[in-house]
Amino acid sequence: MKKYAKAAFLLAVLAALTALCACQDSVNTLENTDKTARREYVNSRYFSTDSYCRDRITILGISKTTTDAGLMKLQVQIRSNRYGFWSELWSDIMGANPYHISYRVDWLDAKGMKVNTATSVWLPEILMPGEVKFIQSVAPNANCRDFFISFKEN
Amino acid sequence: MKRNIFFSLAGAAALLGMTGCGSAPVRIDTASSQGITTVHQIDFKDWQIAAEKGISSMLESGAMKRADGRKTVLMVGNVKNSTRENVNTRILTDKIRQAVLRSGQAVVTTAVGAKGAEETAVRQVRELENDDLFNQSTVQKRGTVIAPDMSLSGEIVQQQRHSGRTEESYFFIHMVLTDLATGLAVWEDNVEIAKQGTKSIFD
Repeated sequence: MKKYAKAAFLLAVLAALTALCACQDSVNTLENTDKTARREYVNSRYFSTDSYCRDRITILGISKTTTDAGLMKLQVQIRSNRYGFWSELWSDIMGANPYHISYRVDWLDAKGMKVNTATSVWLPEILMPGEVKFIQSVAPNANCRDFFISFKEN
Repeated sequence: MKRNIFFSLAGAAALLGMTGCGSAPVRIDTASSQGITTVHQIDFKDWQIAAEKGISSMLESGAMKRADGRKTVLMVGNVKNSTRENVNTRILTDKIRQAVLRSGQAVVTTAVGAKGAEETAVRQVRELENDDLFNQSTVQKRGTVIAPDMSLSGEIVQQQRHSGRTEESYFFIHMVLTDLATGLAVWEDNVEIAKQGTKSIFD
């Protein structure tokens, strides 16, 4: 009898785990490999103080362009690494699925001074497991040359 | 028995004390992620998100740039509030006009606005032309105020939904830049903000 109870318990655990696996709602992506767009990639330096945030988000690329109005436009491509069984299970338990982050873009002029704008505030971004997002920002004026981006978990 | 009553009373007093505890008011950083988040109202963070997205989109479009090199003169028109809340849309329009000024793409007039002149002094100082108290050569002349080329207007729409204890609000903020010479919209964009919350069973 005891043997049957143990087997039933194991089956129940297995069924629960299978159900949880089926509940995964991670994002699948598809892209062309022969790229036609010529991106102007930006060399960057990443300083992380939060190893969790660093591991959960991959910076896929930073690129820039200049708009018709002569303003610098920035694009940061990020991917949420919170996919896979254990990662999603843990984020579900912690109530962190989808993953909420905030970012802030500060713009600097030709002399490296911060340009005060109405838009240099923390802005929210929500990422599904495995989702790729493109964070974009347009410089507040044509004098802006450099940028500084901050990320944090919410 | 007496001991049980004592512990029960002490426990109840402790619980009452805990529920009575508050926190002293503190200043928060308006640029931070702090602040109260409500479901059915537009919070300051929502205004910041709407302004940032609207400004970025408008500046990127280059719609305010003129072929003759002159700076566009922009007036801030009416932003209609179609929500159930009493909101002051000036929080949004002021952020946008400041960004427009800082961008160098346009200048903003305060002589014309949705509800008449925003700055009444423009007209007021011209009424001094018949006042012999003033040196007439220093009085601003008529026919010198520059009329706007474009108008910024919009509308905020709210949709509320409830399902069980879960409530949701969807704010649709529409902004449009109109060329006043032609009446054509040269730029339009929407910012969508959706917020959801589940009420406690005790509410």
